[in-house]
Amino acid sequence: MALEFRYSDKNPLHPISCGAFRAMHTRIEILLTGLKESVGRSLVERIEHEMKIMERRFNCHDERSPLAAINLRAAREAVEVDDDMFMALELCEAFRRTTCGAFDVATDTALQGQVSYVLDPLRHTVRFAREGVRLDMGGFAKGYALEKIRQMALQEGVATALMNFGNSSVAALGHHPYGEWWSVGVEHTVQRGQLAHEVHLKDSAMSVSGRSTDGRYHIVNPATGGTVAAEELILVEGRSALITEVLSTALYAAPRAQRSAIMSHYEGYSATEIYCRAGGGVERREIGK
Amino acid sequence: MNRKEFLSDCSRMGFAGVALSLFPWLESCTEKAQKEVSGERARIGIIGTGSRGLFHVQHLLQMPNVDVVALCDNYRPHLEDAAQYYPQAKLYDDYRRLLEDRNVQGVIITTPLYLHARMTIDALRAGKRVFCEKSMAFTLDEALDVYNCRKEVGGVLLIGQQRLFDPKYIKAMQMIHEGVIGDVVGVRNYWYRNNNWRREVPSPELERHINWRLYSEYSRGLMTELACHQLQNGSWAMGMLPEQVMGSGHLVHWTNEDERDVYDTVSAIFTYPNGVNMTFESIISNKHFGMGEQILGTKGTIDLVTAMHYTDEAAPKGSGMDQLIAQIESGIMSNSVFAGTSWAAETATLAPGMPIMPNVKVVSGESSVGAEADGSKELLEAFIHAVITGKQPEKVLEESYYATQFALLADMAMHENRILRLDDKYKVPYEPLRSK
Repeated sequence: MALEFRYSDKNPLHPISCGAFRAMHTRIEILLTGLKESVGRSLVERIEHEMKIMERRFNCHDERSPLAAINLRAAREAVEVDDDMFMALELCEAFRRTTCGAFDVATDTALQGQVSYVLDPLRHTVRFAREGVRLDMGGFAKGYALEKIRQMALQEGVATALMNFGNSSVAALGHHPYGEWWSVGVEHTVQRGQLAHEVHLKDSAMSVSGRSTDGRYHIVNPATGGTVAAEELILVEGRSALITEVLSTALYAAPRAQRSAIMSHYEGYSATEIYCRAGGGVERREIGK
Repeated sequence: MNRKEFLSDCSRMGFAGVALSLFPWLESCTEKAQKEVSGERARIGIIGTGSRGLFHVQHLLQMPNVDVVALCDNYRPHLEDAAQYYPQAKLYDDYRRLLEDRNVQGVIITTPLYLHARMTIDALRAGKRVFCEKSMAFTLDEALDVYNCRKEVGGVLLIGQQRLFDPKYIKAMQMIHEGVIGDVVGVRNYWYRNNNWRREVPSPELERHINWRLYSEYSRGLMTELACHQLQNGSWAMGMLPEQVMGSGHLVHWTNEDERDVYDTVSAIFTYPNGVNMTFESIISNKHFGMGEQILGTKGTIDLVTAMHYTDEAAPKGSGMDQLIAQIESGIMSNSVFAGTSWAAETATLAPGMPIMPNVKVVSGESSVGAEADGSKELLEAFIHAVITGKQPEKVLEESYYATQFALLADMAMHENRILRLDDKYKVPYEPLRSK
C-alpha cells in the first residue's frame, strides 16, 4: 500500500495533514494539525521512511535484518549490535523482569522462565543462553514505533496530533482542537460498531490486546509458547505508547491472578479488563484496584 | 442562540453566503439587514396570551428593538399573566379593538386554530403586519382565503413554522440538496408523547375554551398541532409537493378523560409525484420513540431532530480518522470508534453517525408549549424585522400554506377513509425551497 496523504484547510484555524501507510503488518494512520501542507507531507513521508527502516530492523523473518543476524549467530557467539538495537533489547529485558516474564521477546519453549539472552553493556553485544532461543520483537516494535513517531512530530513543532497503529495502539499529542482530550472508542468485540469503552487521551497513549478482529488468538504466552485463549480485552492507558503496548500484551498473556502484581511496577498507568458479552453488554474490571 | 451566534454558526459551517440564495427568507438575519433597521423599533400587539403567547413573550423580552404596546385575551387570567411583563401595554378583551389601535404595527396571533384565519385576515385588512401561529387555518378554504388576502393587501404574513429558521434544519437541507445522502427515497416523521394533552381547567364551563385542542369544533388535533411542523420536511428536502395522502386515525386510549373527539393515534402517508412516501405517525399514549424526523437517501440518512448524518456506504478503512478530519473541519468534537484489537482488513469499523454541526440543541418534542433553540426565536426576529421594513420574507409563506393544507387534507383522509388529492383550486404558486 502506497502512502496516502490528505491535506485539509477547510478549517483554517486547524489545517489537517493526514497520512496512512502499511508497515509492520498493519496500517498506521497519523493525523497532524497546524502544519502547512508541504511541511505535513514531508513529515509524513519521513515517518513512513523511518517506519520502513524500523520494520526491517525488527523483522525476524527478514534474513537481512539485524534481528535475523542475532537469531542466526547469538547462540554460538556474542553478537555486537548498534546502539538502537541494544537499547531496545535492554528495554525488553527490563519489561521481562517487571512483568514477571509475561512479556518476553525471547521465544524458547525448551526452558521456560529462565534467562534466554545476556546483554553486555560494555561491548553492546547479545548472546543467547543456549541453542533454540529466538528473538521476536513484534510485540515491542509497535509501541516503540509510536514513540518514534511522537518524537518526530514533536521535533517538527506539532502540538496536536493523533497516531493510530493498527487500531490497537493509539497515541495522542495534546488534545482534540475542539475538546479537552482525544476521545477514542474501544469497539465491542461481539456487537461490531458499538462502543465497549471510551478512552480520553491527552498527551498520552492507549493500547488494547485481545483476539484479533478476525477472531484469531495471536498473543503468545512466553511461559508456554502457545497462544493465549482469553476472551477479555486488556486496555492500558498511560504516558508512553511503548509501555502501554508492552503492558497490554503482557497482561493479556499473564494469568489473571498475576496481573495486579505486574501493574504495581507501573505508576501512572491504568489497566482494565473488558468483557464484551454476546448480548452487547460490557463488564469492566480495573486491574490492581 | 442569538442572531450573532446563528450567523457565526452559519459562517463556520461554510454556508453563510450560500444560505441566502438557498434560503432567502433568512435574509433578515444578515448584518446588512440588521443595519438597515438599526435604531428602529417595532410596536407589537399580542392576540392570545396563553401558554404559547407567553412563550413568545420570553423571546420578545430579549429583543431590544421591540415594544409590546398592546395585549389581548378574552380570558382574564391569561391577559393578566402577560400584563405583568408589559405593565405599560394597553389591554383588550376583543381583538378587533386591538386592531383599531393605530399604535400597533404588527400583531402576533397565538389563539386557538379555529380563530387563526379570521383574525389574520382582519389584521391584514387593518394594515397590520402579522405573525400567526401554525396551522394557518382550520379549513382548506380558510387557508386559501388567508393566502389570497395577504396577496391582495400586500402585507407581511409569517406563520409559526419555526423549523425553517432552525440552523440544524437549514444545514441538513443544504446537505440534502447537495446530494450528500443521494436521492431522497423516503421521509419519516413521528411524534410520540404519553400524556392526556389536557390543561387544568379552573371551572367546567371553561373546558372547551382552555382545552380547545381536544375538540374538533376548534382544532384538527394532532395533524394541525404537530404534523404541520413536520410535513414541510418532505417538500423542503425534495422540492415538490405531495400528490396524494391517505391515513388512519382513531381515539384509542384517552377516552375517559373528557368528551374529546380528536384522534389520539394517527398515521398518514403522503406520496410524492416521484413515488416517494413521507409518513407521519403520532401516538400520545406512548413516548418511547419521542419525536423523529428523518430524510432517507440512497447514500445515507439525515436525522433532522438530532442533526446526525448516517452513511449507508461501506465504512472505508481508517474511518475513525475520516471522522476526526470531518470533526475538525467542522469545528466539533464527538466520539471516534476505531480502537480495538489488532486491525484486520476485512473488518473495517462501521461508521457511526456524524453530527452535521456543532452545539446542536436537540428538542424532545415533549412540551406542548414550545422549546428553546428550535428556531422560534429566529422566526420571531425575522417577523420583527419584517414589521419594521414592511418586506415579506420570500418563499416562506407558500411553504407554511402547503404544510397547513396537507395537514388538513390528511385529517380529512382519515375521517373519510379515502385517498385524497389537493384540489386544483387550492393550489397556489409554489417555488421549491431547494436549489442545486
